[in-house]
Amino acid sequence: MTLNLCVLTPNRIVWDSEVKEIILSTNSGQIGVLPNHAPIATAVDIGILRIRLNDQWLTMALMGGFARIGNNEITILVNDAEKGSDIDPQEAQRTLEIAEANLSRAEGKRQTIEANLALRRARTRVEAINVIS
Amino acid sequence: MSCSNLTMWVSSKPSLSDPSSISFRSLLNPFRLPSHSSATSIPSRSSSTNPIQCGLRELRERIDSVKNTQKITEAMKLVAAAKVRRAQEAVVNGRPFSETLVEVLYNINEQLQTEDIDVPLTKVRTVKKVALVVVTGDRGLCGGFNNAIIKKAESRIAELKDLGLDYTVISVGKKGNSYFLRRPYIPVDRFLEGGSLPTAKEAQAIADDVFSLFISEEVDKVELLYTKFVSLVKSDPVIHTLLPLSPKGEICDINGNCVDAAEDELFRLTTKEGKLTVERDVVRTPTPEFSPILQFEQDPVQILDALLPLYLNSQILRALQESLASELAARMSAMSNATDNAVELKRNLSIAYNRERQAKITGEILEIVAGAEALA
Repeated sequence: MTLNLCVLTPNRIVWDSEVKEIILSTNSGQIGVLPNHAPIATAVDIGILRIRLNDQWLTMALMGGFARIGNNEITILVNDAEKGSDIDPQEAQRTLEIAEANLSRAEGKRQTIEANLALRRARTRVEAINVIS
Repeated sequence: MSCSNLTMWVSSKPSLSDPSSISFRSLLNPFRLPSHSSATSIPSRSSSTNPIQCGLRELRERIDSVKNTQKITEAMKLVAAAKVRRAQEAVVNGRPFSETLVEVLYNINEQLQTEDIDVPLTKVRTVKKVALVVVTGDRGLCGGFNNAIIKKAESRIAELKDLGLDYTVISVGKKGNSYFLRRPYIPVDRFLEGGSLPTAKEAQAIADDVFSLFISEEVDKVELLYTKFVSLVKSDPVIHTLLPLSPKGEICDINGNCVDAAEDELFRLTTKEGKLTVERDVVRTPTPEFSPILQFEQDPVQILDALLPLYLNSQILRALQESLASELAARMSAMSNATDNAVELKRNLSIAYNRERQAKITGEILEIVAGAEALA
């Protein structure tokens, strides 16, 4: 009756251990997962993953991907994942400012899409830090 | 006393080992200057064994410089060997991800087979323009590695031209960049640089570019040219079709031969009897059935939309890693050859140096003896 979480990126395994509960931002909004969840497959948006270990909440910034839940096993495949505690707040804030500036300067559809994406990534990283404090 | 000893030694030498012409001629011509005697005697002797002809000091300098070169090549070889290990670790670390990905892709495809869905990344269109992603190295001194992949790209471009198709190149790696920059008649969409160790970020940059080219219908097919790592001494430049993705999770080469992506090849650097070797195993990833009551939180199309870019990324990352491993292996063998050559050259030079030094000493002693005899 334990819930196992596995977060995989192309480079490494970011997380592979037991958790009590997670809150995942999917394309259709946030979902909470407790043990014995119904098996589902979902696309994961660029957003925050919140993990509960006993009474402690941890956050992780996810950069979009896919998740599969079933059999008390959660497998999350993402392009990149960073633990909130590993992100440098100043660096993240700077990146966010640069991304905002880039979006206001973007011309044409392709550039706007790329700038928007960068902005969302940067914002997620900043949010991942601020949840902790 | 010492003089007579020396005479004994000199006169005994020709009879013992080497009845060469130098000592004889010097004997006949005792009043020759030492510099003269060495200048005339060396060519006559060395022309038969090796063509090294220069003065003692130059020889010494050459030996020193060859020694330094040997140290550098030796160090480069060791560095490359260490880096091959790191490249291999990167591949191993990425395996859980790619395995799970392929597994999920397989299962979802099976479930989606019945539904009529339209995913832009798998759409096969009539090919009018092809994008070639050419993966080269960042540095030279690795034998024919960069040349081989560029030749492959050139021949592919010629083929496309013959078929009357348009093409554009996405160049990855400094060597490819400088090659294509020097040839402005080859249209290049973008120049990218690979890092020292390929990560998801670099793969992402390539994937983003390829993705937007394909989705905007600027190109109808994307091919990836990279060097497949076979073993430490062998690597093959290959062409893989990257887009349109085959929805079954297969990798296809240009001839249409498809390889199951679940069949994963793994290379491993090991030491066998003190020498570095590479083992390559084919690992068949088992695809366990997962729960048939799996529900899709979103539209299946949305889920595939989320999955396929991940798959594209992992394919590109894999190619980058293979290419890096091949480059390092090529550098390792090139540097190993260079070290061997340096050792050989150093040996030849030291032999020449010692002979010349000996000849000079012999000449000087003969002059002293001749002088002493003339005085007596």
